Order: sequence, then structure tokens, then C-alpha cells
Amino acid sequence: MAPGRRGRIIKRTIAIAAVVALSLTMEITGFLVSPESERPEVSYATLHAMVPLVFAACAGVAWAIGPSPVPARLMVLFPVVWIPLPFLRVIEDLGWLWPLLYGVHLWWGLLTGILVLLYPRGDFGDRLARVLGAIALVASVSYLLGTVLLAEPPAALCDCAPNPYRIIDAPVMAGVIDLGYRFIGVVLALVISVRFLVRWIRGSVPARTVAFLMPLALLAWATTLAAQAVTYAANATAPQVLATVSLVAIASIPVSFVAGISHTRNMRARVADLMRITREGADRGLWAESLARTLRDASVRVYWWDEERGRYADASGDPIEHDPADRNGDHSLLPVASPTGMPIALIRHDRVLTDNMRLLDGVSSALRLSVDNGRLRSEIERTLEQVRQSRARIVEAGDEARRRIERDLHDGAQQHLVSLGMRLRLAANQARDRGIEPLGVELDGNIAMLNDALKELRELAHGIHPSLLSSGGLALAVPELAGRCPVPVEIDVQAEGRLPEVIESTAYFVVAEALANVAKHAQATRGWVRAHLVDHTLELVVRDNGVGGAAPEGSGMLGIADRVDAVGGELTIESPAGSGTTITVRIPLGATD
Amino acid sequence: MDETSRPLRVAIADDALLLREGIAKVLEGGGLEVVASVGTGEELVEVVRAGGVDAAVLDIRMPPSYRDEGIVALESLRASGSTIGVLLLSMYATPEYALRVMGAGSGTGYLLKERVSEPQTLVRAVETVASGGSVVDPEVVEQLVHRTRADDPLARLTERERSVLELMAQGYSNGGIAQTLFLGLKTVETHVRSILQKLDLEESPEHHRRVLAVLTLLGAR
Repeated sequence: MAPGRRGRIIKRTIAIAAVVALSLTMEITGFLVSPESERPEVSYATLHAMVPLVFAACAGVAWAIGPSPVPARLMVLFPVVWIPLPFLRVIEDLGWLWPLLYGVHLWWGLLTGILVLLYPRGDFGDRLARVLGAIALVASVSYLLGTVLLAEPPAALCDCAPNPYRIIDAPVMAGVIDLGYRFIGVVLALVISVRFLVRWIRGSVPARTVAFLMPLALLAWATTLAAQAVTYAANATAPQVLATVSLVAIASIPVSFVAGISHTRNMRARVADLMRITREGADRGLWAESLARTLRDASVRVYWWDEERGRYADASGDPIEHDPADRNGDHSLLPVASPTGMPIALIRHDRVLTDNMRLLDGVSSALRLSVDNGRLRSEIERTLEQVRQSRARIVEAGDEARRRIERDLHDGAQQHLVSLGMRLRLAANQARDRGIEPLGVELDGNIAMLNDALKELRELAHGIHPSLLSSGGLALAVPELAGRCPVPVEIDVQAEGRLPEVIESTAYFVVAEALANVAKHAQATRGWVRAHLVDHTLELVVRDNGVGGAAPEGSGMLGIADRVDAVGGELTIESPAGSGTTITVRIPLGATD
Repeated sequence: MDETSRPLRVAIADDALLLREGIAKVLEGGGLEVVASVGTGEELVEVVRAGGVDAAVLDIRMPPSYRDEGIVALESLRASGSTIGVLLLSMYATPEYALRVMGAGSGTGYLLKERVSEPQTLVRAVETVASGGSVVDPEVVEQLVHRTRADDPLARLTERERSVLELMAQGYSNGGIAQTLFLGLKTVETHVRSILQKLDLEESPEHHRRVLAVLTLLGAR
């Protein structure tokens, strides 16, 4: 765990512990100093004391899982301003303190309201929310100022010391501010609740089932708040039941909040699942299904961009319906485009999901990634195929060049040297006829040198391209190769008819290189070459009984492996130390035309 | 007509004009008569079928595909019943070709092209094949003898027997071998019998069969 994170957790734990302690202190001391006749019932007092504890606990959870720390801070602040009125008696002698506490003792309403406005993402979603928040804040600050500057000690609550901040004696004005604030609070709570309720009702079935707690809590809170305000204004005592319901409603708000963000988190986990599907390359038909599952919205449709026709169509190719977005205002469209701006797809989803931009961001990223992956994959495959073909062409061109060089040597240099030898012989004969014996001997020597040169040239030409391979194929060329190997080699070539030239020459060079290794490195006493045609595949095995331990990356073998690869074949080398070497090559005949 | 006085009538096929003329000159210098000189195997087959040819000298690689047209021409001649001597010339000493040439029947030979600078060898080879004998280039034989084999039958032969075997493979008769190695004919006959016995070969009265058998043995793997 990172030290920064651990520090943060410690700080948060201390903050929660501190506000819990403060809140309990206020509740208990307030309860104890109240005269018995004024004490509330123990059960009610306990419930009242539980509310800030619920907030503190939810703050801990919200900090741990919430996308933003703001809601958690509001929740942890809640116990501080959840001031039980009996507590005023405890501090009744502190004239400088009680007006301040009295000024903020209704601020829990402000915190709760803002908390609801921040639901679920931790920021004000729209302008209305910001306006409502601002009104609540201004009203609360005004109430605090009004209370501090105007309030007389509330006789019903305590025998408080005089208010030292009081500037004028204006009880009517203080009463107006008091009532006005409560009125604004009730109105705001109702507006927020109704707004929330409307959004909830307009949401799709899946969206509603998930978030049903919050509006219920809000509604309960707003109604009880209104009822309380009315009874307060009428100077009557609220019925105990109403007060109890109100407390439960308030306490359920942070619980709803935490439940909501935990649900969102769950959604993100499902997006992560979606990412996994993405990585594995799901096909288009499965996408809509996966999305519906991820978003818990069965009405999800995915329309893919058809580049050829320049329109969106679903996975089965049907073009997008006329106005898919909005028949009854239930659906929104989410366009997904590649980083270069090319359209990829259009996701039609429940409008409610628009509130969850992070989720939709996740979904569109997953989709983009999937399409990009697919595109990259096919691009790589296409490139690879081109490389394969060009490599095969290069090999064929190389073979062709070798054949041409050999033929040029055969028809050119070799013929010329042969006829030169013939002329030299005629010249030597003439020299002898004329009795110039030393010249004849000289010319004989030249002919011998010429024949040596011819022999070397012959070997060279043979190495470049064995003419026997062209005329007789593997059936003749492989035994000839084996005959040149100093190690006795058993031959078993069963390839009826001729194979494609490039395959014949590949097989020939494999055998040549392998036998060269047998002769040079294997210390073998025996070798085997087997070439069979099995199921339209040339199977070539070169084996020896030598010391083994041949490195596959030996330069000669590497070149051979490349050649085999280039014609679509595969080469394996088995060479355990001390147990000989077996080189197996399989070349499908269909690989080249 | 006097058989001995009439010169052998030879047809030549080689796509290289220079060589064709050179070969003709060498053969004529050796007392043979060159009656035709063509550039392809097919033309040669026609010339021979037209009659009046005792022997043919062919390049192995000729148009159209520059592979083994010479041998194909030989095989087509033999298939049509012609028994004239056929000597094939090749840039390469390829045992597999030599075996194929011998396999076509008697009166055939296989020589490296560069032998044209040894007029006697070339002329004698033509004479040999024309008279139904066999000729195999010494370099081919050398290759075959030096081929490595899992169970080398040649290991059973003595040094002298090996020398005799090499000449047998080249197409020499017992008399020729005796002359070349400066041995008595009886001695050579004894060696040959011993060789054939050791190599499990049948003594064949027909000369070229002996060559073929030896070559096959040497070439077999």
C-alpha cells in the first residue's frame, strides 16, 4: 500500500472518530443536563444520536468507493452541525458560543440537500442543481448571520447568557429570518425531491429498480421536513411519530447515497468485463448482447458504421431505423468514433444512462478498443500476408536467378572454354606436325590447366543450381547429393512425378545443408534421407547417428528455416546431445502455385 | 562394299554452333564422315530415321527446355528400333545420366564435353558405340567408385581389382583393360571373374550389360 494512501486512510479514520466523539458528547451531555421533565424519550434520543453515526459510517464507505471525496466530506461534516438543542443548556454560560451553534443547528439540512444534489457522481450535474445549491448556501449563511447578530437567548431551550454579538433588538426580524429560512429549506427539499422523483420515474425499469432507495428517503425527508416546519410555524409540538420518521428518513439518505455509488462501481466492474470481451475480440453480433448485460438495459442497440455505404447499420446489416434516438424521449444515442475521428458505431441506450457518463465512457472506450484491435489485427494479418507473398516471390526470384546464372555459365563460359580447349588441341597437333615439339608440350600443359579450370567451373555451376534437379527432380538430385556426402547415407525418395520448382529447390537445399552439417559437425557414421509425399505435403526427414546437440540457430540452418518458412512449410530440429540429429521439414504443395 | 574402308557416317546435335563445328572438325580429323549437324534432338532423330547414319553425337542439354533432350532423343531412337551408336556429351559428370544412357541399350556412351580436346578419346568413343560397345566417362566412374555406401561392396576388392573395375565401368573390353594396365588377357579375365563373383554380378556375354551391371551396382544405394 502506498504511504500516501495509508496516510489518507489514517486521517479519515481520525476525522470520523473525532466527529463521532463530538456528536456523542453533545447528545449525552445535552440529555443529562436537561431537566427530567424536558427530557425526550430515551428511544427517541437514541435514534437522534444514531443519525450522525450513520452519516459518519457512510462517510467511511463513500471515501473508500466513491469517485469523488466531496460527498464523504459532507457526510463527515454532518455530525458536527447535527446539534441536539438540549446541548445548548450545557453551554448556556458561554455567551460567545451558543449563538454560533444555534446559527448552524439547521445546517445539516444544507449538507443533506447538497449531498442529494451531488448524487451520484459527486458533482453538480446541471445548472439547476448548481442554482439550488447556491440558494441553499446563501440562505444558510444568511440564517447564521441573522441568528448571530439578532438572536435573543431562546428561553424555551436554555437560560443562556446574553448574545454578545447582538447588534440591535429586532425580535420580529429574527423571527422572520427563522421562519423564512425554514420555509426556503422546505421548498428546496421539495424541489430537489420532486426533481429526483421525476428523473427516477422517467428512468427505464432497470435503472429505477437499482436507485429506488434514494427518492424514497428524499420523499420521506421532504414530507416530514414540511410537516415539521408547519408545526414549528404553528408553534405546536410535532407528533412523536413524525419526528421519528423524519430521523429515519434523514439517516437513510447517506445510506442510499453509498448504495448508489456502490452500484455504479459494480457497473464499472461490468465495464471491466466488457474490456475483457473486447480483448478477446467478440464479434459484432455479441456486442449488443454484452452491452445490454453491462448496462442492465435490454433496449440497447448497437449500430455499426458502414464505411462503403456511409451509414449506420446493425450487426445483421439492416440500416438504422429512421429516428432511433427518440420516439418517446426514452433513448439517447452515443456515437463512438476512432481517435482519428472515423465513426465506428452508434449505441442507442436508455436516456437514464446519460447520467452515468463514466459508465458510457467506459463502454465507448471498450468498443473503440475492440474495433481498433480488430482493425489492427486485420491490418497485421494483411501485412503479414503481403510479406509472406513477397518473401515467396523473393525466394522464387532467387531460384530463378540461380537457374539463369547456371544456364548462362553452361551456354556461355563453359562452351567457350570447351571450344578453346579444342582449338588448343588442334594447335598442339599442328605444332607437332611441323616438328615443333616444345610448343606441343607447352600447349598440352595449357590444355590440362584449362581442363582443371573447367572442372572448377563445373563444380561452381553445380553449386549454384544443380542441372540434375531441373531435369530429374528430387528423385535424381537427392541420391546425387547423398553420393557427395562422405558419410554413407540411405536414401528413400518417394515423390512420384515432379513437384513445383520452388518446392523442389527448397527441399534440395534443405538436404544439401543438412548433409553438409552431417559431414562437418555430426561425427556420424550413418545418415538417412527420406522424402515422401503424404496428403499433398512433402515430408522430408534428414537424420544421422552423430553426437547431436545441433543448434537450430546455426547460420546455415537458420537460412534453411527461412527458406522453408517462405514456401509455407515448417522445419523442426531435434538434436538431443548424444542421440543424433533429426531435421523434419513439411511443405504443403498447395502453398505455392 | 568394303566394310572396313568405308568411313563411319556421324550426325551431330548441339545447340552451340561453335562446338558443333569443333566436334565435326575433330571427328573428320579422326577419319570419320560428318553427314549431318543439327541444333536439336528432334532434328537429329529425323536425320537418323532418314537413314545413312552409323553414329550420333548429342549434347544432353538442348532446346527447347535445356534439360535432358539428348537422352530423350536417344530413348526415342531406341524405342523406334534404331541401333546406331549414340554418344552423349554433357557439361556435367552426372552418374544418374550415365546410368540412364546405359539403360537405353547397347551402343551408347556418355562423355564430358571437355573430352573434345582429346580427339583420340572422342573418335574412339564414337567408334566404340558405333560397334555396339559402351563408353562411360572416367570422371563419372571415379565419382561412383568414391561414393560412400553403408555396406561398401568395393571394400572386398583388391587394389588391382578396383583398377580393373573402373575400366570395366568405363566400357573397356577385357582386351582393352589388358592393354591399358599392361596385363595379360588371362590375368584380366581372372580378375573380372573374381570381381563379378565378389560383387554378386552375373557374367554377361553381352558387353554393355556388363557395364550397366557395374554402374548400377556402383550407383545403387
